[in-house]
Amino acid sequence: MADPASSPGGSGAGGETPPVDVVSLTVNGRAIEAPKGTMLVDAAKAAGIEIPIFCYEPRLGAPIGACRMCLVEVEGMRGLQTACSTPVAPDMVVSTESELAKDAQDGVLELLLANHPLDCPVCDKGGECPLQDRTFRFGPGQTRTVEPKLHFPKPLDLSPLVALDRERCIACYRCVRFSQEVAEDGQLTFQERGDHVEIATFSGDPYEGRFTGNTIDLCPVGALTSNPYRFVSRPWDIKNTPSVCAGCSVGCNLEATERDNEVKRLTGRPEPNFAVEEGWICDRGRWGYPALRSDERITGPVLVDAVGRRTVLLDRAVNEAAGMLGRRELRVAVLLGEPITVEAGFLATEFATRAGNGEAMVRRMGIPGHGLDPLRALPGAQMDDLDRADAIVVLGGDPCAQQPVAELRLRKALRRGARVAMAGPRPTALDPSCQVTRTTPGHLQDALPIVAELIGAAERPIVMWDEADLAAEPDAAAALAALIEDHPATRAIELACDVSGPGLRALGVATAEDMLAALEAGEVDVLLTIQADPTTGPEGARWSRAIDGVPRIIEMSTYRSGVTDRADLVLPLLTALEDEGVLVSMTGRAQRLRPAARECADAASAWELLIALTHRLGRPVPDRTPAQAFSRLAAEHAAFAGLDYGELGTTGAVIAQGRGAGAGGPAARRNPAGDGLLVIPCRPVFGDATAHRSDALASVVEPTRVGLAPAEAERLGVRTEARVRITTPHGEAVLPLEVDSRLHEGAAYLFTGDPHAGAAALLPMDGGPVRAAVGVAQREQVEA
Amino acid sequence: MTVAELEEHLAPIRHEYADPRSLILPALRYVQGEAGWLPPHAMAAVAEATGFSQAYVESVATFYDRLYIDEVGRYCINVCVTLSCMLRGSDELFEHIADYLGLDGEGTTADGMFTLARVQCIGACDRAPCLQVDSGVQLGPLEPADATCLIDDLRAEPAPARYDR
Ligand code: SF4
Ligand code: SF4
Ligand code: FES
Ligand code: FES
Repeated sequence: MADPASSPGGSGAGGETPPVDVVSLTVNGRAIEAPKGTMLVDAAKAAGIEIPIFCYEPRLGAPIGACRMCLVEVEGMRGLQTACSTPVAPDMVVSTESELAKDAQDGVLELLLANHPLDCPVCDKGGECPLQDRTFRFGPGQTRTVEPKLHFPKPLDLSPLVALDRERCIACYRCVRFSQEVAEDGQLTFQERGDHVEIATFSGDPYEGRFTGNTIDLCPVGALTSNPYRFVSRPWDIKNTPSVCAGCSVGCNLEATERDNEVKRLTGRPEPNFAVEEGWICDRGRWGYPALRSDERITGPVLVDAVGRRTVLLDRAVNEAAGMLGRRELRVAVLLGEPITVEAGFLATEFATRAGNGEAMVRRMGIPGHGLDPLRALPGAQMDDLDRADAIVVLGGDPCAQQPVAELRLRKALRRGARVAMAGPRPTALDPSCQVTRTTPGHLQDALPIVAELIGAAERPIVMWDEADLAAEPDAAAALAALIEDHPATRAIELACDVSGPGLRALGVATAEDMLAALEAGEVDVLLTIQADPTTGPEGARWSRAIDGVPRIIEMSTYRSGVTDRADLVLPLLTALEDEGVLVSMTGRAQRLRPAARECADAASAWELLIALTHRLGRPVPDRTPAQAFSRLAAEHAAFAGLDYGELGTTGAVIAQGRGAGAGGPAARRNPAGDGLLVIPCRPVFGDATAHRSDALASVVEPTRVGLAPAEAERLGVRTEARVRITTPHGEAVLPLEVDSRLHEGAAYLFTGDPHAGAAALLPMDGGPVRAAVGVAQREQVEA
Repeated sequence: MTVAELEEHLAPIRHEYADPRSLILPALRYVQGEAGWLPPHAMAAVAEATGFSQAYVESVATFYDRLYIDEVGRYCINVCVTLSCMLRGSDELFEHIADYLGLDGEGTTADGMFTLARVQCIGACDRAPCLQVDSGVQLGPLEPADATCLIDDLRAEPAPARYDR
């Protein structure tokens, strides 16, 4: 379990640790040493001596000694001590095996089991249950209880996602502490008392939040279980693989459970990555996996030619692709979307010199951010540096919605007493807890005095800045960069908007504005899209028209997209959970995906297909695996210099930062295009395409919608409308309306995510500002 | 009961509670006195006025048997069934009252007048068997006939302005 001693030192701000006093003591007759302040349980563990625990979990705060499982005998101290809350002291003599200690372990377990149903054969936790394990290892072996056990009707849905079997609960308080002290949602508590205690929410309301699933990982018994995983598998039928979440740019480390070649479950890592997610993952990350089996998934290669539209074998499809790309005069364009591993991105650039005329353009979707280079050149920080910062400013964006797990670090910083300020045009879930500066839309620079004040007064300040918002306001970006440079102790974290951006940027892959122009000018003969659907992204309508004019289209994609029906050839791709390779997180951490399953037999990885294509084109790349591709890209690209694929291990390593590939996009502020309200794009992870495709998330998915302040809705005459028409120079969409008094007047908050809703297509490609007209939707539009 | 009314009531006593958590109990008792029990909106008002989460306030309320999170009758008749009272006939007393009220064991009468419950020792073993109506003085020793009179008397009373429980 979590061990604070294994938390890596900070790689950025304030990483220097003061020298620690070491204490010598004796445990079970062995002399051991531990840093002063270490709890006995951790000191013993470091020396290889296990003291059983249930409630102890340092990530939840100070120990509370609720379960009494960790009782040990300490010479000279009266009675038994809880090893989880007794710090080491010089010359302490501890026994975890004395008769008294053994008796206590027996006794505690016997009492914990007195009302426990012991229904292990029908319990999801059975086989990976700390209560089972500790009972076998430390318990009395049999019960003396003859009284009837307590029974509850079972199970109870705490929410559509979390189930509660009350009789299994051992009242360890872990879930309650997570809810009260980590997520700070205040929802889970104990009700009743004594042997009747039960976990409950206020008047039986569903347990709502963005992090609820972590209580399942924390529960040391089978009391809290995942509804979507209920009765799906036994632990001896599964394989767990450490991988990385591709849900957002945080890049949380997680573990994927496979059975029958399907991903059945995602959990936090049992050995957390303290530099990233600390073992917590958000519910969107946890329950996004059913999307792998959504009916939008492309399950086989499709070829469209003179014969018609038909499914072909993968091998044939790759040959066809090579045939379409091989002729020497062809002008080829490769468009990368997300998620794309750095190996796939690198191989795409290698492929580009081998396909067609050998000069294919490779571009990525995403925000150009020309004006962001000075910010990206600043010294960066890792997520655990937030634990040491004394002041944190979030400028723009909304990490609570767009990089969810970051919210938990910010709450932790607040609990620690650090100053945290949120500045920007969006209301956030952290507003009630921290210093808030609500800027007028388009005026992020108004918040710079706050930034100056906070970082000026702090010793280890961190600024988290939003990629999209600062890209739209390059002058504010430049001023922020200058401000941070004046305070050299400051570290910066980019709140990146897509999971491929940081990695592809480090490879020098630019964004696609010039590709769109080339398509429109008829300068492209073959377009290859990889996990990219530009028709639903910014300026989607323009992309759609441009793509219609391209003679040949090859799509590599996991899910059907706006390109699929126009493509001459469709090659199904594996998802990030089935793929291998490296993703770079928003903090520049290169982390390895490991394939947990292969749900679709006829799908392949982008890197595999690109390698195969270079072979069929007769000019093979030397690589056969992502590892080989990685070592070559590390040799060629300074950002990855010195990194070794194998050494990335399960927790990754930080790439050299500071190099952007900012080509295009406004380097200076431009006037918003269009008329009407300034658009504030919001990209909630809980409303993204995966959230829409995962049936498990149906109860929490955020709709793609338009948000207006009440007065604004009144003024536009749409106050009572369920749906509104929103029009920008880039297109028009009819979307649900949400009237929210926390929103600014004079702005239209555009929540994007559902690829079918056409919301993101209303935004400009350069990431600059845009205005929108919002009005009543015509009836036929609503019906359509 | 609005949050403002509750806050007004709590204002003069707030300073008596160094740990703000302790304020939850008088606040709960106060709103229970007004409503007779603790409907969810009343607990929400206590949460608001004390600054704790609704879930926490409810968790405090459920710890105490005499704080009612489910609706109870105008009078709560709590019959002691612990040892002294049991030896002196509390079972018969309880059964008699239940019969007289038309209840099948513990519960609330259909007219909403009485809630009958078995409770543990109420500290009047010298008067066993005994019972307590709300927080009133313990009554005992009681013959079944005494209980009948008591219930008739309570029925004849006007509705109390506040509940004392
Ligand atoms: S539900 Fe699980 S985590 Fe919560 S108190 Fe019970 S045993 Fe502990
Ligand atoms: S915060 Fe982002 S990376 Fe982490 S689990 Fe959630 S979606 Fe995945
Ligand atoms: S682990 Fe020490 S009391 Fe629970
Ligand atoms: S046993 Fe009934 S009052 Fe004590």
